[in-house]
Amino acid sequence: MTKKIHILIAVALANLIAFSATAHHSPAVFDRTKEVKLVGSVKEFRWSNPHSFIELDVRNEKGESDTWAVEMNPPNYLVKAGWTSKTVKPGDNVTVMVNPLRTNEKVGKFVSITLPGGQVLTENAPSPAR
Amino acid sequence: MTASAKLVLTVVSLALGTSSIGLGQAVAPGPLGALSRENLSKPRPKPPFELTGTWLHDNKDGPNSWRFVPPTFKLTPDAQEHYDAGQRAAKEGKVYRDDIGQCWPAGMPLIMTRVWPIAMVQLPTVIYMTSAFMNSLRIIYLDGRPHSHPDIVVPSFNGESIGRWEGNTLVVDTKYFPGHHHWLDQGGASIPASDQLHIVERMRMINNGNVLEIEYTMTDPKSWEGEWKMTKRWNRVDDDITEVECWPDLNDHIRSTSSSSQIR
Repeated sequence: MTKKIHILIAVALANLIAFSATAHHSPAVFDRTKEVKLVGSVKEFRWSNPHSFIELDVRNEKGESDTWAVEMNPPNYLVKAGWTSKTVKPGDNVTVMVNPLRTNEKVGKFVSITLPGGQVLTENAPSPAR
Repeated sequence: MTASAKLVLTVVSLALGTSSIGLGQAVAPGPLGALSRENLSKPRPKPPFELTGTWLHDNKDGPNSWRFVPPTFKLTPDAQEHYDAGQRAAKEGKVYRDDIGQCWPAGMPLIMTRVWPIAMVQLPTVIYMTSAFMNSLRIIYLDGRPHSHPDIVVPSFNGESIGRWEGNTLVVDTKYFPGHHHWLDQGGASIPASDQLHIVERMRMINNGNVLEIEYTMTDPKSWEGEWKMTKRWNRVDDDITEVECWPDLNDHIRSTSSSSQIR
């Protein structure tokens, strides 16, 4: 159990380091103690440097559509986690877990995605980031 | 055009040319270009190590490994104001003046510790370093030229770097920074790099040429008292850099950069 916790901490630290410095901006604005579940339809997915990103249309409690901006690592990292530029496309219905901003705006740091076929992907290779 | 007309034109253009620099005024030749054949072919001792390759900063010691702020420091009153504002922002879960996030260059020394590979090409006269992070170019001249005169140098975020070999060490002196939108950390200790920032790097190769170790000595009398010293390492990696740029629409999509979590 202790070993498992140590591994989890090590992976979390590696992910933090990866995004902290691959990001062109400070990631300190995201609340890493929280995860928000977004169920919606992909509006745009861009496979680009220094960030990839997903814009996701999500229905809110009032039944209206909100567009969430989900910030991701660059493709170099995503490829190692099993992604290609065609992994998601506009119109795909997906579930995305994000670390939200602390300021309650509709922006999140990508944690994981459940694709239409049920496959779950993160954005870092299983081993610590290089 | 007749031969006499050509002669008149030549005389006039020569006269205009000489008058623009002053008759009889000696024009000192500038340094040879770092890539000029004449410069490259000058006899020089064999360098003690070869930096050419791709390098990645070693961040195994966590976030502090890429920061260039020592554990204790004494700031000037101006820098202290920025630092305090950064600490207040952090307590609210916000970041203070994250200029890199607004597409300003990271600049020296932070550009050296982004978690993006750096492609280094070493020639007898110059080292070109291109960080994959925004493809930022850093040039270190090795051809014996001095620093530029302060009245003509163009300040830059990576500064002007002049290197010289001392035994097995490459000593690189870097100065001439813009003094704005330039920081010693990102979103953490908000300490500004002024136009007086001066960096001396002592570079040496360890572990059979697979690890680059750089000892930093930094002064900035406008921002802190005394010398800051720290040592960092890079590992040689089998990797390539790619094109990475801050496109004008990048931050339209990376919306944390325009959210209320940013203190400008």
